[in-house]
Amino acid sequence: MNHRITIAGAAVALALGISGVGAQETGTATVSAKPMSGNLTSISDAMLQNAAGDPKNWIHPNGNYSNTRYYPGAQITAANVGKLVPKFVFQTAVLESMETAPIVINGIMFLTTSFNHVYAIDATTGEEFWHYKHKMGPITTFCCGPNNRGVAVSGDTLYMGTLDAKLVALDAKTGKLLWEKQIADPDKGYSETMAPAVVDGKVLIGTNGGEYGIRGFVKAFDAKTGELLWTFYTIPEKSEGVWAKNDLTGRDMHRNIDAEKAAYAKDSSFYQTLGGGVWMTPAVDLKTRTVFFVAGNPSPDLYGAIRPGDNLYTDSLIAVDLDKGTYKWHSQYIAHDVWDLDAVSPPILTQAKDASGKMVDVVIHGGKTGHVYVHDRATGKLIRFSEAMIPQENMWVLPTKEGARMLPGANGGVEWSPMAVNPKLHMSYAANLHQPMTYHVEEAAYPGGSKLWLGGAFKTIPSEEQWGQLVAVNLDTGKIAWKHKTPQPLIGGVLATAGDLVFNGEANGWYKAYDARTGKELWKYNCGAGVNSPGVSYMVDGKQYIAVAAGGNNQIDAKRGNSVFVFAVQ
Amino acid sequence: MLFRTVLLSVTAGLCLTTIAHGQAPPPPSTGMSIAEKVDVCTACHGPNGNSASPQYPVLAGQNARYLYLQLKDFKEGRRHDPQMDPMAAPLTRDDMLALADYFSKQKQAPSGFKADAAKVALGRSKADEVLCAMCHLGEFAGQNEIPRVAGQKYEYVKKQLADFKARRRTNDAGNMTSVAGTLSDADIDNLAQYIANLY
Repeated sequence: MNHRITIAGAAVALALGISGVGAQETGTATVSAKPMSGNLTSISDAMLQNAAGDPKNWIHPNGNYSNTRYYPGAQITAANVGKLVPKFVFQTAVLESMETAPIVINGIMFLTTSFNHVYAIDATTGEEFWHYKHKMGPITTFCCGPNNRGVAVSGDTLYMGTLDAKLVALDAKTGKLLWEKQIADPDKGYSETMAPAVVDGKVLIGTNGGEYGIRGFVKAFDAKTGELLWTFYTIPEKSEGVWAKNDLTGRDMHRNIDAEKAAYAKDSSFYQTLGGGVWMTPAVDLKTRTVFFVAGNPSPDLYGAIRPGDNLYTDSLIAVDLDKGTYKWHSQYIAHDVWDLDAVSPPILTQAKDASGKMVDVVIHGGKTGHVYVHDRATGKLIRFSEAMIPQENMWVLPTKEGARMLPGANGGVEWSPMAVNPKLHMSYAANLHQPMTYHVEEAAYPGGSKLWLGGAFKTIPSEEQWGQLVAVNLDTGKIAWKHKTPQPLIGGVLATAGDLVFNGEANGWYKAYDARTGKELWKYNCGAGVNSPGVSYMVDGKQYIAVAAGGNNQIDAKRGNSVFVFAVQ
Repeated sequence: MLFRTVLLSVTAGLCLTTIAHGQAPPPPSTGMSIAEKVDVCTACHGPNGNSASPQYPVLAGQNARYLYLQLKDFKEGRRHDPQMDPMAAPLTRDDMLALADYFSKQKQAPSGFKADAAKVALGRSKADEVLCAMCHLGEFAGQNEIPRVAGQKYEYVKKQLADFKARRRTNDAGNMTSVAGTLSDADIDNLAQYIANLY
């Protein structure tokens, strides 16, 4: 997916935090500071399925199986959000990027940090129940920071993916390790930063590694035993596709298709290193028993000559069967991507009008291109794409050795940051970056899976201003409803609430609330470090809380912190 | 240049002599302990990995990540050297990790390199221009997969830069081949002078 900005190609390697032999080895010890609250309850399948209507708990990383990040409680509204004050700040022991979406069950919060620490705390006071430190294996290979985006929960068990590409199962009550399973080989570039999804006794998890020449996948593991149930490879053996001339919005990508066809006929074995990482939690539609996710960029990012064809299913929205992991459909945004303007932000299931004005089930995705794409959920067919949420220029100029300028820059648009949806207003809310960049290509053979393999470089343009934009899109029309420009690029993710509020954080430490209809800024609080994580909301003893991690960000080098801030109305 | 050529020939001759005398060991065998495998390495790379021979790089104090990846690349054929290829071939992943760990923990001895001050200055200026420090860090201290090259052997650095430039060495994921492609022979010489003189 993504690249820390600024840097010349070779330099990207180091800044990304490719950790190495012996990096961050820690013990498995857990520390009980206070006995676990008796309020902790087991999470049933019914609770997971009904989470969208449960204002008490936040038990999915993105709020519910539809990934809407829409909190159904409405105690905090435009009328009282101005009185929101911090109730406590929980300091972790890890001063590094925080991208965690805390899980809250009956007043107990589970949060993660970089390097795979997990904490269980009291969600009203911040008192710590336990602290789990993952024992990292000797080899880790990861792009874009040692991040973790949170745990998933089912029954009495928490699930986390690790930088050394394992799935670990923890006892929610004690933090004790129940089992762990190697998902893939970190020596080949695989790592895990996403929060998994648990559904019907299956843990669904993808993989990072599109910067290292992996073969991407989503796997399903048995939630009880860790046994592998199915694997869907995001890269099929025949990856050539339909030789698409244009992107999904109809713009010419300037491919030399004849040359690509000739190269593909000679050698198509590169599917094994073609990338297609899956960075974010899938959405699940239990009515149709379908899993939706997006696959990221092809490897190497910028050097396309050694991977001719459409590079299926990179840069695509993909639907697979929940029970068997078999292909249902895909929709490719950019065939043969050489800009890393891939698909990362998690898909969201909601409803919107189709072309004839009829309200239908849709799945939407916020792209690095800066468009929100609205697809028919049953077929994947594109219904519409939104107005560009940030400037686009010179698309799709091909990268050159000297560098070709194109907007958006390689981080987007919308990066991994989850969008939120207000289903009453039919609006999506997306955190965007504006980072002008030049795209440089460089011939580069597969380096063995352990070295950053971009096949070139992205460079920011020092003379050009960078900024961010929080954008509300009307999903029925694709028109921008409102936008709010921020002084820095936005990475982190959005929370929407039934109080018709939208919460979003900034790299300069501000956490802000907006009117969901108009975008009017209603409240802000400075957390003292980058707020580059998605907020959550929950209720304890009849009081609504808002929680967000302020740990800064590796990718945009936002000031690091180590804390989760929890707010309530005074 | 002529002078250097002569020196090079002499150096190469010495090394060949050394090997001809039987001091270059056979590749490590699977039954060996890590300590015995270390001995195989140090036969050429010097005690604790502080090489005394111009063409053998210093391993002492090198980043473990880099050492491991280079061994792996020799073993899996992404980097080639007539002497290293057979050495790396029998190593297991655990061997490579252990050897990398061992040499990364040894103290690098000062290079004792007698530099040409004018070339060092030109090398420093070229290093600033092509942004070496963005990956190798200031003073070429290295990090993660990016090697420490401060105080590395002059002849070795020169050969590696020339190999990257000519694409004889391509296990760099494109980064060094890209940079080296912009360097002249004189640049390479100056950079090697500057780097060898750093420690």
